[in-house]
Amino acid sequence: MTATAAQWLQRIRELPLQDTIKIMNVCGGHERSISMAGLRSALPANIELIPGPGCPVCICPEEDVYEAIQLALKEDLILVAFGDMLRVPVNVGKSEPRTLAEARAQGADIRPIATPTEAVKTARENPATPVVFFAAGFETTTAPVASMLVEGVPDNLFLLLSGRLTWPAVAMLLDSGEAGFDALIAPGHVATVMGPEEWQFVVDRHNLPAAIAGFTSESLLSAMYSVLRQLSDARYFLDNCYPDLVREGGNPSARRQLARAFDVGDANWRGVGSIANSGYFISSEYVRHDARKRFPGYADDARKRAGEMPPGCDCAGVVLGRIYPNECRLYGKACVPRNPIGPCMVSDEGACRIWWANGIREQVNLKKRQANS
Amino acid sequence: MCLGIPMQIRKIDGFNASCEAKGVQRDVSLFMLQDEALDIDDFVVVHVGYAIQKISPQEAQTAWELYDQMLAAD
Ligand code: SF4
Repeated sequence: MTATAAQWLQRIRELPLQDTIKIMNVCGGHERSISMAGLRSALPANIELIPGPGCPVCICPEEDVYEAIQLALKEDLILVAFGDMLRVPVNVGKSEPRTLAEARAQGADIRPIATPTEAVKTARENPATPVVFFAAGFETTTAPVASMLVEGVPDNLFLLLSGRLTWPAVAMLLDSGEAGFDALIAPGHVATVMGPEEWQFVVDRHNLPAAIAGFTSESLLSAMYSVLRQLSDARYFLDNCYPDLVREGGNPSARRQLARAFDVGDANWRGVGSIANSGYFISSEYVRHDARKRFPGYADDARKRAGEMPPGCDCAGVVLGRIYPNECRLYGKACVPRNPIGPCMVSDEGACRIWWANGIREQVNLKKRQANS
Repeated sequence: MCLGIPMQIRKIDGFNASCEAKGVQRDVSLFMLQDEALDIDDFVVVHVGYAIQKISPQEAQTAWELYDQMLAAD
């Protein structure tokens, strides 16, 4: 029998831990579960849970969103994208549309979709019109997009791909020497697809404990117990606390399809810059479906503030775990879910939105926290 | 966008399945589970319309308790 959340909390309390311990949870889905279940206040006060880079909407390059908006406005085509992407703002002058939703209001044919199969369906139903699928997402979302290509798509379907890999962002943080966390909770559904092995580097190269967690309180707390116990025993390994789904080698067909449809290379993360080996790019086999080849010239990297977060927005700091959402000066003031300034307040997996949705209203002064720590 | 939802397979036609959760039916692609033997009534975790892994009925049950909470909170 597996232990209940209360039993895991009890075991955590019984561990001989003195110092402040910071655990980073990579995944936005984890952050949602943690905030919703109130795990932060249930844990001993010396354990800090830091939300990490796991929000694909938040880190999708500003210039890619801009490119999608321009394509939809200026070419005679249909643009489809996952619903969250429609509200992500870019940095443009006041008279220009800031989001895909605003471009749609100006007459561009932009349609939200929930699955890659809807992109295929849209292309089949409109054979004379190019359909561009703006596909942002991490491995869990990019693998189905690869699967869609490998299964076969109509000639008029093109992909504007902004797929990203999660582990390279954590590797970049750890390599920077300023990671600011003592243990890692790795994303459960990414590991389901890609295999747990991808996270082994956290232990081998950086000598930190790591555990893969599912999304229930029990699974998350068991992973937290695992890394805390590893710290107290000074014996580190990669623990799989989501064995029902996460198997050695991940999902083999998904990985084969990913490898066939996409290559991996350095890629930009919004507000962060380029991260080595963190991006998916369409492979030569499927180049005829590359929207960037079919409609070149719409990414304008020379624009003012191209690639940056909106002015005043600290999402980059939030994504890298350097500040908590409510330490942004705009949190809950100018920036709320109904009127989001930055992408972290747009997405269901953005830490700002999650914290707000779970009732955190108090703003915290970052300088004060840093002075105290 | 990385959260999968457990669903039960009701119909299979090649790589296309009809899956059900909470009385709602959805078309689900099985193209990413080609290495897995799948049958009617099996449970799979579905993400953006694609089954990403087969799971046990017990795991599907536990996961749904979580999603019920999440949906109630939305
Ligand atoms: S509160 Fe809004 S502006 Fe501040 S970091 Fe979050 S999304 Fe960006």
